[in-house]
Amino acid sequence: MLRTHPTLAIETQGLTRRFGQQLAVDGISMHVPARSIYGFLGRNGAGKTTTIKLLLGLLQADAGCAWVAGIDIAQHRQAAARKIGALLEAHGFYGNLSGRENLDLCRRLLGLPTSEIDRVLDVTDMAAHARKRVADFSLGMRQRLGLARAMLGAPPILMLDEPTNGLDPDGIADMRTLLRALPERAGTTVLVSSHLLGEVEQIATHIGILNQGRLVLEGALAALKAEVGHEVALAVGDPERACALAHAKGFAVSRDADALIARFAASENPRDATAALTRLLCLEGVDIHAVTPRQHSLEALYHRNAHPAQ
Amino acid sequence: MTTLPTPAFTTALAVEACKLRRSLALLLAGVAPLLIAVFVFFNLLQMRKPMPWTMALQSAVGIWAFFMLPMSVTALTALIAHTEHGPRSWDYLRALPLPRWHVYAAKVVCALAIVAGMSLLLALLAPLSVQLAGGWAPALAATGPRDIAPFLLLLGRVFVAAWLLIAMQLWVALRHASFVPALAVGIGGTFFAVVATSAKIGMLLPWQLPVNQLASDPQRAQLTLLLGALGGVTVFVLMLWRMGRREVIN
Repeated sequence: MLRTHPTLAIETQGLTRRFGQQLAVDGISMHVPARSIYGFLGRNGAGKTTTIKLLLGLLQADAGCAWVAGIDIAQHRQAAARKIGALLEAHGFYGNLSGRENLDLCRRLLGLPTSEIDRVLDVTDMAAHARKRVADFSLGMRQRLGLARAMLGAPPILMLDEPTNGLDPDGIADMRTLLRALPERAGTTVLVSSHLLGEVEQIATHIGILNQGRLVLEGALAALKAEVGHEVALAVGDPERACALAHAKGFAVSRDADALIARFAASENPRDATAALTRLLCLEGVDIHAVTPRQHSLEALYHRNAHPAQ
Repeated sequence: MTTLPTPAFTTALAVEACKLRRSLALLLAGVAPLLIAVFVFFNLLQMRKPMPWTMALQSAVGIWAFFMLPMSVTALTALIAHTEHGPRSWDYLRALPLPRWHVYAAKVVCALAIVAGMSLLLALLAPLSVQLAGGWAPALAATGPRDIAPFLLLLGRVFVAAWLLIAMQLWVALRHASFVPALAVGIGGTFFAVVATSAKIGMLLPWQLPVNQLASDPQRAQLTLLLGALGGVTVFVLMLWRMGRREVIN
């Protein structure tokens, strides 16, 4: 079944997969917009890898459907696979062959011209190492070679499982720059599964958070952050008294060492609310040394949704 | 990305052959026939009287069919399968936009081609070692006609009779990521083939089918040849069907 949804690169509806009694993926309905960078988050065992394997047609769903570039994966696996480049946790490189030879095997199976190898090696900055045997590669080099292989043929969708694994800080920064540029430069949609929330926050336009096989949060990252509301940190002379005063007037505040953290609802104007709080404290004679607006981090969003009970 | 046609099976085959570059499987393919040739050379030198060419060459085929072929196939199929099990490349291969049976069928053809290559290498090295032994000790030089055609025909029959054995060993090796099941089946099969050589039921044992090509009873040789060939083709087809549909869960 072909689905013509021009704005979605990946879509699933009620995708479910069991392993025996364990429900690994529990009715996931995800929506990855075309040309987005979708951060796929969740703790170990949350179902990220199983979902990616379902999207790659490596596993069959017990229920639900999945479409890649509008193509039903269960019905047309090969056609859907043509739209995807994947970097999996297990790279699957042949250690007895060089990096270039490894890429060439894949290029031939994809029916691509030889020039593709040089292109992807250049993009990933691996041209200088390509003639070395993969057995002699560092983990970071394997990771970059994996990305190069995923990019063979310039597929419209990239699925990257922990792409920054094993990279040094410079390598992580390079990877970040490369991934960020892909939607703009090549119209690519990138699905990144990662544990590094800070990294995902810097590149992702959209996120999906999995918890125990269920998609508990999904959407545009900026909108999700805005929905949570705003936080302001106040460095005050007497935090205990300041906290009590603010509570008494109905402000949602908490203490963080010597600072007071005030949380305002998304419906409130943060400027007005901050002004009201500082006015109250000043009138009551509490010294205020600094007022710092705090951005809601992806980490806060993640913990709020991935561990709702904590 | 432009829509490209699915590459032909020959592409998967060429890719599979490339993976064997600098691999242990190719090393094994060279070493096993060489060991037989070395044995034949020294065996001739320790004889008290010259041996006929026919017998010398048949002894090489005997060693090959009886022991070295089943053991080599065990090791070879395990090494071929380990090309993917080792780096855990099944997921990547199976996610590619090509029919999955291409991947497995390419391995089948490669395994058969390597065993055929080993047979050809033996066909070259065995007469050479008999010749060298004669040159080293002229008194022990092989006698009688140097009839190579029956020797080649016998090697060919041994190869075809081994298809069932190759199919079974390859299936077990591809199915299990660990070396242990494939080695256990191969060593166990060869062991029973060796200790029960003359058993009537032995002609049904896949590991004993090749050596049955040397049987004095032509009917037994013919039956085991058919069993090896047809059984091999059947098991290969079943393997492609089953492995292509199987989910690989790491």
